[in-house]
Amino acid sequence: MHTKSNWLQKVSQSYKEASQQPFIALGLCLLSFPFQLLVLIRYLLKSQPFEKRTVEHEIKSEFEESGAATSLKDKLRAQEKRKVAFLKQQSSQAQMEKKGNELYRVGYQKEIQERMEAYYKESNREQPSFLNETAHWLEQPLGFVLSLLLGFPMYFLLLVVSIPTLRYIVNRLVMMVFVIIGVTIIVFTLLYLSPSDSATNILGEQATPEQIVNFNAVHGLDDPYLTQLGRTIKGIFTFDLGNAFEGNERVVTTIMRRFPVTLQLTLFALILSIAVAFPAGIYAAVKANTTFDHLFMLIALIGISIPSFWQGLIFILTFSINLGWLPATYNADNIASLIMPAVVLGTGLMASVARMTRSSTLEVINEDYILTARAKGLSNRRVILRHAVPNALIPIVTIIGLQFGGMLGGSSVTEKVFNINGVGSYIVDKQFVPDIPSVMGGVVYIAIILSIVNVFIDLLYSFIDPRIRSRIKSGR
Amino acid sequence: MRSYQTNLIYQQIRFNNGLTWGYAALWILLSIQFQPLGFKPVILGIGILNLFISLVHQKLLQTVKKDDFHVEINLSSIKVSSLILMASLLVGNIFAFISGITTFKKTLTTGLIYSIYMVLVDVLVIAVTALNLFKPFVSNTFLPLFYLMIVILLFHSFVLAFGQKWFEWKPTTQKITLFILALTGLTGNILVFFVAASFYQNNKPDHMGKRQTSIREKLIKNQAALLGLLFIAFLIMLAVTCNWTFSYSFAVQNDYSSILQTPSLRYPFGTDNYGRDVFTRIVYGTQISLSVGLIATAIPLVVGGILGAVSGFYGRKTDNVIMRLLDVLYAIPGMLLAITIIASFGASTTNLIIALSLGSIPSYARTMRANVMQVSNLEYIESARALGQTNSRIISRHVIPNAIAPMIVRSTLTIGTAVISTSSLSYLGLGVEAHIPEWGNILRIGSQYLETNPYLAIYPGLAIILLVLSFNFLGDGIRDATDPKLN
Repeated sequence: MHTKSNWLQKVSQSYKEASQQPFIALGLCLLSFPFQLLVLIRYLLKSQPFEKRTVEHEIKSEFEESGAATSLKDKLRAQEKRKVAFLKQQSSQAQMEKKGNELYRVGYQKEIQERMEAYYKESNREQPSFLNETAHWLEQPLGFVLSLLLGFPMYFLLLVVSIPTLRYIVNRLVMMVFVIIGVTIIVFTLLYLSPSDSATNILGEQATPEQIVNFNAVHGLDDPYLTQLGRTIKGIFTFDLGNAFEGNERVVTTIMRRFPVTLQLTLFALILSIAVAFPAGIYAAVKANTTFDHLFMLIALIGISIPSFWQGLIFILTFSINLGWLPATYNADNIASLIMPAVVLGTGLMASVARMTRSSTLEVINEDYILTARAKGLSNRRVILRHAVPNALIPIVTIIGLQFGGMLGGSSVTEKVFNINGVGSYIVDKQFVPDIPSVMGGVVYIAIILSIVNVFIDLLYSFIDPRIRSRIKSGR
Repeated sequence: MRSYQTNLIYQQIRFNNGLTWGYAALWILLSIQFQPLGFKPVILGIGILNLFISLVHQKLLQTVKKDDFHVEINLSSIKVSSLILMASLLVGNIFAFISGITTFKKTLTTGLIYSIYMVLVDVLVIAVTALNLFKPFVSNTFLPLFYLMIVILLFHSFVLAFGQKWFEWKPTTQKITLFILALTGLTGNILVFFVAASFYQNNKPDHMGKRQTSIREKLIKNQAALLGLLFIAFLIMLAVTCNWTFSYSFAVQNDYSSILQTPSLRYPFGTDNYGRDVFTRIVYGTQISLSVGLIATAIPLVVGGILGAVSGFYGRKTDNVIMRLLDVLYAIPGMLLAITIIASFGASTTNLIIALSLGSIPSYARTMRANVMQVSNLEYIESARALGQTNSRIISRHVIPNAIAPMIVRSTLTIGTAVISTSSLSYLGLGVEAHIPEWGNILRIGSQYLETNPYLAIYPGLAIILLVLSFNFLGDGIRDATDPKLN
């Protein structure tokens, strides 16, 4: 029995806390509208608002009559005058008067508020307000059941808001949806502004006016901008972007067929580059300023500077044409044909991760707690792997997240070099037409994948860094 | 205890030693013929000469390495070896040349070090330009400009030789020299301005004993960054002078009598499938790559910088609105945004620049925002505000100058990225118009002849790597120079 009432108090308390933010308060009210209506009727019937107004009126008149109001006004005016004089600002008497009055108004409100609070505290009552009334209802078992019956959607929001980690995740996901809509708007607008006429491009110069009108009607190109934009945003979320301009295939079907290849390639490249770069970077940091370190960092710098398509060509020239070790083009049945594209695509990431690993490990290695660990007599291996590396991870994860976007974008070039039928090469092929829905679908879906990866990386931070975890928990 | 100068010289020589050996090994490797196995005598000769120079260099390093070595000691063996090393410029070994001069001169001022690289740029450009002499004809302006460049080289060598006696000159002589020096900078040799700035700084009465704090002064300790700067200056000077020294017709006019020629003195990098000289094409391609890279970095630097500064300084709602909008732009990978813009507006250099700029605005804005937020919490901003300064004045006078260093580093590094993106898009046929000689375009043709004429694809790629690598070296150098932790 006792635990139950405690539990209800907790619910009511978290409701009160959540209602401090105006947006969430509005959301809570809307989600439990019937229940709130009931509470409102009861609140008005109890005629509490009228009582509150009387108290407020009394306090105000007392404040003004005691002369405290006038002294406050004089004090604020003098303050304004001194400020103007000190900063040598050019300010007329009227301006100063106005500013002084403004200050007084704010100060007056604040003073009244404080006095009201003091009054209610003295008489040991809560200030009657709609919020307190609702919270009071939620504390009663009957009121709680009523709220559950009439306004249960409210509890989903309350749950999300009161658990910081969940709130953080939902926050990020909502942001992601907005980013996706924004991306769609940008990409669609860019393609909409195109000076070339799609119908003439596809049908050719000899197309009759009827054919062009028909083409525009079929693809909805004669609709106004906003209608098309709305349809596109809806299409992105419902996976239906209509037919491609060229060839009678549904855009999303084609993209989904090509996505696995691109994802397989990028993931393979990601794993490969982390597997190489991470140990090498740590080793270079441990052996800082040795020949290995210098040589390895030079190689990493070359890895950043090398254009991937050129690297691909040189790889084909060496390993396929001259040595004949690996196939030059991608073949889904032959896993060996994925090696060269993955290495080429992963080189940039490999190089930047190696450089970042080295520099952030080096930074950590000079910290005091590493010295402490050594003084405790831990082995060098344990000091590095247990104490240094985990603390050096944050910037490395950041750079992986940043480079992943570049990798997804860069996959278009690599796919063209190795003749892989992925999304990247699809976008490039279709942009020559230009086949608007196909290009847009490809770009937007890649951006969506990237956004999901970014959310994932943000969550990963909270796992590896206790500082960030505690910041999320405290709701900042 | 070694003196500062001795240490500087030692570091310089140690850095150059490996490169000298590598350079010699490169010549020897190039001299090997695979089918049938054998050596090309001329190249092998140059390689062996370089090996000899490397030996001298190694010997010099051993001498300098000893603890009792001091720059003030006059050793005849060091004199002789530094003279030999200086002569090594004739076989193209610039690393040994640098070492030779540093041991010969002994006192390394900022101006002197930049003078060495300034002269090297002249020499390299003249050497590359001289390859035109093997062509069937040259452009009308070739000879006058060639002579002019030699005169400039002599003048720069004079500055290198006697610049150290700068203090003893009369003020009018100093002024005239500075003026002529700055004038020679019009050739595109940007190192001239570094030299002029150093001499000008030296001229100020209280410079002696002052701590060296500017980026220019700190950069001289980073040889890799200086080599990057050397190559960038070389390409800029080449891009400026090639308009008059190289004949554009070799780069664009079809010559079906000489298609797909292998590299020779007449066509150093061979000819492509239309008989165009790949070497001249690469030289002219420098103009496009450099200008696209620079413009596509300058635009987002300014736009992103302003957005980031405003967002970081005002915070709250302004910050939220600007950064959320940029987040959207940031979610699209730069390459795909560029492809989208080009799909919509067509492939041209202008569209390419716009596309590349637009994609990198968010990252600049984020960098600037973070710096500005950091700076605007410091006490001097608060005191400026307490003194009644306006917001715009605080931003322009106090916030931006103190938050700009990471932006400079970032922009140096992204020039390289922009060059890579340009050539990648051109390679896909989405960048610079196909008829313009641009590195990506040259590579695209080369990729079609990968099996039969691989050099068509190799040389433009090497040019791209070297340029990007130089910018990365320079960027890393500037970052180290501006990093307060390392100072």
